[in-house]
Amino acid sequence: MKAQASRSAWVFLTPYLLATLALVVVPALLTFRYAFTDFTGLGPARFTGLDNLRRMVDDPFFAASLRASAVHVAIAVPLRLLTAVGLALLLAAPRRGGRWYRVAVYLPTVVPDIALALLFLWVLNPIYGPLNQVLGAFGLPQPTWLATVWGARFGVILMLLFPIGEAFLVVLASRRALNPRLYEAAALEGCRPWQQMRHITLPLLAPILVLLAVRDTVVLLQVSFVPAYLLTDGGPSNATLYLPIYIYDQAFEFLGFGYSAMLTLVLLAITLVLVVLQILLVRRWRVLR
Amino acid sequence: MAYLRSAPAHAYTDRVLSRLLRRHVPAVLAAAAFLLPLVLMISGSLRPTGLAPPQGVDLVPADPTLDAYRRLPELVPVWTWLRNSTIIVALAVPVTVLVASWAAFGIRLLPRRPRRIAVLAVLAVLLVPVTSVWTTRFELFRMVGAVDTFVPLVAPAFAATTPFFVLIYVWSFTGVPDAQLEAARLEGASAWRLWQGVAMPQAKLATLAVAVLAFTTHWANFIDALLYLDSQSLYTLPLGLQLLQLLNPTDWPLLMAGAVIATAPAVAAFLLAQRLFLDDPLRGLRGRRT
Repeated sequence: MKAQASRSAWVFLTPYLLATLALVVVPALLTFRYAFTDFTGLGPARFTGLDNLRRMVDDPFFAASLRASAVHVAIAVPLRLLTAVGLALLLAAPRRGGRWYRVAVYLPTVVPDIALALLFLWVLNPIYGPLNQVLGAFGLPQPTWLATVWGARFGVILMLLFPIGEAFLVVLASRRALNPRLYEAAALEGCRPWQQMRHITLPLLAPILVLLAVRDTVVLLQVSFVPAYLLTDGGPSNATLYLPIYIYDQAFEFLGFGYSAMLTLVLLAITLVLVVLQILLVRRWRVLR
Repeated sequence: MAYLRSAPAHAYTDRVLSRLLRRHVPAVLAAAAFLLPLVLMISGSLRPTGLAPPQGVDLVPADPTLDAYRRLPELVPVWTWLRNSTIIVALAVPVTVLVASWAAFGIRLLPRRPRRIAVLAVLAVLLVPVTSVWTTRFELFRMVGAVDTFVPLVAPAFAATTPFFVLIYVWSFTGVPDAQLEAARLEGASAWRLWQGVAMPQAKLATLAVAVLAFTTHWANFIDALLYLDSQSLYTLPLGLQLLQLLNPTDWPLLMAGAVIATAPAVAAFLLAQRLFLDDPLRGLRGRRT
């Protein structure tokens, strides 16, 4: 009976396993192989050892790309997380019509990223855009946004502050799962709402928050492609030439499949290091235990 | 309570009012801020074209017009794009639901230890970044001659679109009791019957969630369309919108109309399932005894 169940288990798993093998595992392994060749996408690949690595070290665009990604992740991850956690804790409390507030916060997440990018092209337009109109009405300076280095960086980050539904949902669900007795007891002891947040909610949610930070770092390192591709195309002066943009340019614009495979490996390695660092750092703060 | 009764009536209503304000105002502000993108998108699409740069703030157009929606199909083949996107979604969503639920049911049938290892393996696939397979996956599709067809856009559905969808079903099927599976099996039900007759009916909410999320994912898929589609007759809506932006980079009402058309189906699908996501996400998805 057991053996029979196991056999049908594998039958059910077969389609997923085959497709994952063909679409994820084999391509990922091929990336390792191509990284050490001069493959251009045309003609045969020639093994060139560490040439791609040497080229990368001397590549000013790679350095710019690394800087752009680092600045982006360092600012965007904390801001996005803070927004998602703040909103989730604010809207977790039951109140009349509470679900519709949560629906509103989640909505920008289901907007296709191309549509959101088009919207922000308009919003951030220095002459026609609504943002500068509002800033002007308050007598504030009206920057040229996507045309300046920091304007472009913050423009992309501003756009990415809206699709935070995933983290919002996770914090919402985890907050729901906390034991209400804890809060009753704390309230009886005269613990104010702010103290409850500081001493009960945040410590208990800490492991989830760490996971979300890790996940957001990975996501922002990998898929900041669409906003940057449409809003700024890597510019101005490479301020938003995030690694995925540079990898795409190398592979599909300059036909450097081999070199882009090496860049991909570097991106993978950086992601891995950051993830491990975050986990270690947090373990030292003892919030995971 | 004596205090309440002795206090002047207006002080009491003041306090109720201020509590109401404290409770609702921050929530209303947050909701308004996140509705703003959609509101701006719609109001931007209702604007007449070719106006001079606005002086002062005019977030709501003075004389709204549907002109942009009329011009859009005249300028670009938006119906073709919609049809292509619809074909892809119509293929990809059912395949995703089937493959994800099969994989999760397979995991459910495994003995305890292999089951945990399988879940960890699915989690590991979740961490493999999409960028790391862009170029090599393209290479594979080119070898089999599938570039410039819909095949590479639908293919991810056979890998459940994202391992996350498998995990949703895994979570949902943990609510199906062992005894129920065992009893059905003793009555001679095949594994297929177990999936179809015992597991799936208890995972209806998971199916709804996966279908809606798969819909929004494939509907919005820009990168694969950009990588694989060359012929304009095959363009999907997201790729078409990028073309529209290249052709008319400053025709904002037209661009916003395109954005609204791309957004509306995704928002509609989400609203269908919002109860599921936002009331009690974890309990909602867990299988129920019926």
